[in-house]
Amino acid sequence: MGKYVLKRIVLAFMMAFIILSVTFILVKLLPFERPIGGDAQQIAYFDKQFHLGYVFRFNVEKPELGRLLYKSPADHGVSNYYYQVPVFQQYGNWLRNIITKWDWGVSKTYMPNVAASTIIMKRIGYTIRLNIFAVLFSVPTGILLGIWAALKKNKITDHIISTMVMVFISIPSFVLISFVIRIFGYDLQWLPTSWPPDSASWGVRASGYIIPVFCLSFGSVCYYCRYIRAELCEVMESEYLLLARTKGLTRRQAIVRHALKNALVPIFPVMLSEFIGLLGGSMVLEQLYGIPGIGKLFVLSLGYKDYDILFVDMAIFTTMSLLFGILVDLSYGFIDPRIRMGAKK
Amino acid sequence: MAENNNTPVEFKNDDFILVQENSKIFDKKFETKPTTFLKDAFKRFVKNKSSVVAAIILAILILLALIVPVVSKANIEVPNSAEKFLAPKLFKAGTGFWDGTRKFQHIVYDTVNEVPAVSDKYSVDTIKSALISINPATEPESVDVVSPYGHGGSVVIETEVETASEENNVFLYSQPVDFTAADNFVVEIVFSSDTKISEGDETETTPEEGEEPEPEEEEEFNGVSAPGQFRVYLKGVGDDETEIIIRDFSKDYSTINFNISEALAEAGLSDFRGTINFEVKAANGARQFVLVKSLKLTVNDDVKDKIAAKDADNNDVTLGDYLEGISFDDATAMVLITKRTAGKAIDNVGYWACTGRKGIHAASVYYCDYVIDTYMLAYGKADPVTYSKADLDRWIEAGWCTYDSKVGIESFVKLSDECPIDEVVSQRTNKITGKLLEIEGTGWKYHKMGYSEMPKFILGTDVSGFDLFKRAFAGLRTSLLLGVITAAFCFVFGLVWGSISGYFGGNVDLAMERFCELLGGVPWIVIMTLAILHLGNNFGTFILALCMTGWMGTAARTRTQFYRFKGREYVLASRTLGSSDMRLIFKHILPNSMGTIITSSILMVPSVIFSEATLAYLHLGLQGKQSFGIMMANNQQFLGVYPYLVIFPAVIMALIMISFNLFGNGLRDAFNPSLKGSD
Repeated sequence: MGKYVLKRIVLAFMMAFIILSVTFILVKLLPFERPIGGDAQQIAYFDKQFHLGYVFRFNVEKPELGRLLYKSPADHGVSNYYYQVPVFQQYGNWLRNIITKWDWGVSKTYMPNVAASTIIMKRIGYTIRLNIFAVLFSVPTGILLGIWAALKKNKITDHIISTMVMVFISIPSFVLISFVIRIFGYDLQWLPTSWPPDSASWGVRASGYIIPVFCLSFGSVCYYCRYIRAELCEVMESEYLLLARTKGLTRRQAIVRHALKNALVPIFPVMLSEFIGLLGGSMVLEQLYGIPGIGKLFVLSLGYKDYDILFVDMAIFTTMSLLFGILVDLSYGFIDPRIRMGAKK
Repeated sequence: MAENNNTPVEFKNDDFILVQENSKIFDKKFETKPTTFLKDAFKRFVKNKSSVVAAIILAILILLALIVPVVSKANIEVPNSAEKFLAPKLFKAGTGFWDGTRKFQHIVYDTVNEVPAVSDKYSVDTIKSALISINPATEPESVDVVSPYGHGGSVVIETEVETASEENNVFLYSQPVDFTAADNFVVEIVFSSDTKISEGDETETTPEEGEEPEPEEEEEFNGVSAPGQFRVYLKGVGDDETEIIIRDFSKDYSTINFNISEALAEAGLSDFRGTINFEVKAANGARQFVLVKSLKLTVNDDVKDKIAAKDADNNDVTLGDYLEGISFDDATAMVLITKRTAGKAIDNVGYWACTGRKGIHAASVYYCDYVIDTYMLAYGKADPVTYSKADLDRWIEAGWCTYDSKVGIESFVKLSDECPIDEVVSQRTNKITGKLLEIEGTGWKYHKMGYSEMPKFILGTDVSGFDLFKRAFAGLRTSLLLGVITAAFCFVFGLVWGSISGYFGGNVDLAMERFCELLGGVPWIVIMTLAILHLGNNFGTFILALCMTGWMGTAARTRTQFYRFKGREYVLASRTLGSSDMRLIFKHILPNSMGTIITSSILMVPSVIFSEATLAYLHLGLQGKQSFGIMMANNQQFLGVYPYLVIFPAVIMALIMISFNLFGNGLRDAFNPSLKGSD
């Protein structure tokens, strides 16, 4: 077991490494965008890039090195000429910088000369908080609805819940949020129409979470509900439940002690994979509701053509989904003793 | 019995009788009808009512997506602001539902023309012709805004700073005056002592179609606004340092009746040229204001004549202008005059100048609710234009119309579409000879826009004036095309990949699986973004990127199916008979797993539509083709004002998604081999 876990982690680490490397190279192959700002900022940026090994600096022009990125104003009659280092050499330097200095690059146009890690750290909290709230809301709601539907199988309650689930699972979250904002934000004016600033009062900020958390978790609620209903219905028809009833347990006892336990086992892995889905969904949501998280940063850095920030943002999304991938995989073994991880087929 | 057991049983040939020795055996006919797998699946599919309904809805939507963009002539290429934001229209205007009208509430009412005050964009005639109903309020509302349709109220003269200092405690509100002591000028000033004024915007923004009132970025002011100390005085112009105090600094808001001529006489002045000033004192922590309701300057009647005679030489200023310029009854009108000429020289008679904030308090404005036909606004009769007789003669000669000036305007008959007018409103003839001089004609605006009749947009138009109906289905066509191509590619590629991986297993499978894991480990949005950044957001890139992320699902499903079936006895049997790998794969294993794989491929279509829309919301939408996602993302901003722009596409999107899902579920059940034959 321990060996298997270790193997999975090493494998995931290698995967992350390969994916990030390829992404880095692809991002670096994009046309170079000049940072914004005056000469002082430009020089600061290019000198930093020079020290990190991403650009060459010469005192003379060297047209054979390709496109001139920047020519600094003459200082004592000497100008500095900056050229791009070949991509693979940049890649090597990038690896070195990460290992030795944990340097993930700086922003060029979005917030010039601010370290990417600083920008990300400032924003990641919002996204994580939002997603955790969404999970905390969606899991109990989804499970309860699913249990309810399963217990009332083929009755009117079940039909209503199942139809609603079908409808809401089909409506994309960005469509849903439009309507929720319209109805609860503009028409009824119960909730803020966009993300309240940090300076707002505690109550306003708390109410600002309602719409995004609700919209984010709606798909998951439907998904959990459908999953639990199917699982529980299957268990309810199993023979061991019949045995439990025949040995004298009431319906309630049989369901709580035997059916639910077995039906809830597979939900944990589903939960984690749903969490990955949430991260993707939050990108559009953050854009529409104006939440300053890393999903919004993705759109912003794209708009600013700030590819270094874009890369770090993408790296975070990738790493997170890989991380949760391992957790999903391992959780199967931890939670359901019937599955032995790494067993030979 | 025991002994018998030991006796060996002997069989003789006679013990056996051949059954059916002399009869021939034929295959018996099946009692049930023979059926193929597909027929059986279809039978089960039809039993599932919701899937059938979903399939029908889906078929209708797909048909519309194919037909509408081809059949509809509506323009969705060149933006046309004249046709923007037309309301959805299915029935005749005035029926009250889906009729192309739009309801407005609490809009400033133009009491003169008896129309809503939107005449800065449309002429009064146009609005009148488009109005379905109007319901003006019976009582005016008292508001603190300057509106050309309001009247009355008081002028607010307010300090703009909160702290008093030597330099800025004077907030002048001044008007140049010219008095003679003998003329018996009397000034009457009425104040209002309201203690509350709101931070009203200085100008009333006439309700513009389609614009949400944006929150004004007002400077932060957290103090209070309170009636303050003020004084009224006359001040000489230029080098003349004379100051005649009418009322000194105080908070006395009672009406002033002040004889200027007497004051001048007292001061020993025969005449006075200067300004009349209101001055408000700045105070710590509060904005100070004074409210002036009216100001009346009167003069003896005989003096009036005298000055009038004097004015005859001086064309610039007449006494009438002069008195009017200083006096005001209607504060709103007065402020409007000064506003319109803001920046003009201070010496001009009739224009008050202010160094502080100047506004209006408690002006009365009538509001109204109304319903207007948006199509009449956009396509109704244009305002009449005057044409000369020569123009008309040319049209008649060209055979575009006929007209008889003796009969009058009823005789106009339009013969050709090229004739620029549809109707003659009036004609002017020479009074003596009775000869026609010129006509005033008008025409339907839609004729000039190239329509033969009043257009009708079922789902209305968007910000660019594009027909939403056509745009939605043109976008849907692109999305469906994208979905079908992607699904087809993913189906073929995933099938081949999954078959190889699943059938051969071992190291081949391991290597292929690792590759899938690697590609699957990258979030699809990252792959899409990188592809779009490198190759541009065109149709080809979208297909490429969507295929890159989409095929793995099919491959994994195929692989699982192969693992399930490859060990079965019938495969073994075939293998022992010497079947090749190809034969085993395509003849024996694949047909069994086809159902699930096809279903999952069909379900890829809605997910591609969804992905395309998601990308559009992230500003990475498909360019160069009509795109459903971009349309939705663009309309998002009008959710507050024109909800139909979001609702209709959302409904179409949701319908597509729901019916695809239901249809897919039905298909999966129908193809499920374990349900075969179970009715």
